[in-house]
Amino acid sequence: MKQTKPDGQLSSGQSRKCAAFERCQRRTPVERWGKSALSAILCLGLALWGSDALAQKKGGKPKPAPAAPAAAPAAPAGGEISLDEEPAKPTADTPAAPAAAGGGEGGICEIDPSACPKAEDVKKAAGREVKQDLYAVQQIYALRARRVELNPYWSQTLNDQFVAHPGPGLALNYYLSNVLAIGLNGTYYTNFDSSFNADVRRSARVAVPLNEYLANANLNFSYVPVYGKFAGFGDFIFHFDAYVVGGVGGLWTRPIAVIDPDNRKFDWKPKIAFNAGVGLRIFFNRWFAAMLEVRDYVYQEELESLTLAATQQKQQDPGTWFGDKQLTNNVQAQLGISVFLPFSWEYRLPK
Amino acid sequence: MNRRTVTRSLVALAVGGLALVGASQPAAAQEIQITGPLAGAPAVRKLRLHREGRFEVAPAVSFTLLDEYRRTLFAGGRLQYNVKDWLGIGVWGAFGALQTTTDLTDQIDKQALRNSRTASNVSGKPGADQFKSQVGQIDWVAAPQVQFVPFRGKLSLFQNIFVDTDAYLHLGVAFAGVKERGDCGGQGQPLCTTPQSFTAVSRTAVAPTFGLGLNFYTGNLVSIGIEYRALPFSWNRGGFDSRGAGPNGKYPNGLAGSPVVNSEDRTFKFNQMVTLAVGFSLPTKPKSSD
Repeated sequence: MKQTKPDGQLSSGQSRKCAAFERCQRRTPVERWGKSALSAILCLGLALWGSDALAQKKGGKPKPAPAAPAAAPAAPAGGEISLDEEPAKPTADTPAAPAAAGGGEGGICEIDPSACPKAEDVKKAAGREVKQDLYAVQQIYALRARRVELNPYWSQTLNDQFVAHPGPGLALNYYLSNVLAIGLNGTYYTNFDSSFNADVRRSARVAVPLNEYLANANLNFSYVPVYGKFAGFGDFIFHFDAYVVGGVGGLWTRPIAVIDPDNRKFDWKPKIAFNAGVGLRIFFNRWFAAMLEVRDYVYQEELESLTLAATQQKQQDPGTWFGDKQLTNNVQAQLGISVFLPFSWEYRLPK
Repeated sequence: MNRRTVTRSLVALAVGGLALVGASQPAAAQEIQITGPLAGAPAVRKLRLHREGRFEVAPAVSFTLLDEYRRTLFAGGRLQYNVKDWLGIGVWGAFGALQTTTDLTDQIDKQALRNSRTASNVSGKPGADQFKSQVGQIDWVAAPQVQFVPFRGKLSLFQNIFVDTDAYLHLGVAFAGVKERGDCGGQGQPLCTTPQSFTAVSRTAVAPTFGLGLNFYTGNLVSIGIEYRALPFSWNRGGFDSRGAGPNGKYPNGLAGSPVVNSEDRTFKFNQMVTLAVGFSLPTKPKSSD
């Protein structure tokens, strides 16, 4: 959808005065450059005189020709100005618009002389830059562009039934635009070996290689394709957005020694981890939101070796402790809050 | 790399982040207040009531999460009447259309030693693909339930496509058809080391079921839903003798003498699943609010 829109903001008086001029611009976005001279004259006349014509009801009876010149280009005399139609050319019955602002009967100049348009105001308005894009949703409730998001969260494992890795985390994002952000996040894990593992070991005499996590740190990009609003209990409105996130970083892990815990003591080692996820933010106000994110951290895990070396000396050699490498998905839910800084802003366009 | 080094790195990350916060440009503090005809107006006017007074038939598939021994894909659906736009009464039901074993089940089947220590817990010979027959499974679920719809709204996709959406909570009682290893080792029951003791038997478990979901109304008739459901109850997923003896009954009977498999070996499991549904609402045209 394309439509011209004023780039800067005007006072309410100026807005009213320039309304007719702007409508002319909207009406013929392609033609207006070719007909600029004619349009400027017509719009100037309309803007300078047309306020009372705009206020008339549709279908009103034509007024008798006034003694003073009427706003001739403004469609059928006495009717609503139709900006979708080509303006009528001046005739003998409907003479051209007056040159002087506020001339003739009534009008804004009589109601409020201070608001009476001047020719230079209209020229200034006509010279403004215009923004061609008009978004489907305007004045987004919580703008993100050029804001920093501080996001503490609690992480919970979703796909590891053997060892749970809950822990706190912190994300920091900077929104380059309203939909794109670059950021960092890090999680500090705790580890809980499920009693289910002991049951399996005891019942089936099968040991499942287990791993635990220390922390991760990542560089991420976020994209926000979805936003909307909900009515809560049909009463209050709250806004939300949904985003996708992806990045790369490090994940520090190590095996839990279950095959030979007497000899094997593993150190933390960083692994390169790629991550991708989706998230949902619910805004309580323009800077504070609750968030829920599901993210998959994919990395190459080193598992504990399932076999024991033949001699005691070799069993104590760390080189014999590791077994298979396995591509591992660490899917976690991240539940937290988001604080956007700065807390407030000024919309570029009026509502 | 030790824990201290990593901790330092994280602290440095946090400090860097705070510096970034401090360096961000200030913004003018001005909010647009609602004035004019919208001041004091109701939150929503002419709301399309996609639910109120309508029946919904929603075929669905569900995928279980965090399974230890067996994954299940359920096929089923939801039948519901929405008394109000915020309240619906109905039933969700599904049967296990596809059951697959996890890698753990396969590894136990292949790797577990078969000797006197495991005789009461692992059936068959290594690699004979028999262990999976003793592993528990959920065959069907039927759950009368109510749905509460506290949140109703719309979302924009790529600043272009708009979809009416609601978020709901559901709560009900689930009746689950569970198949798990039958009792053995007790009086009048087979010994737990005999092959017939590994035969699975069916029972019906009763459990609470609850969760939340989102419905996206793509039109007056059709909606698409995604839903999370929890179905917590105790069952013997591995078919092991793992409880019943020792302090608080936390140790297997086999350690104290002869193995016994019975209801004491059922351990609590927070069964979870995700459901995708396509809903059809009747009558085909929804009402709208004032």
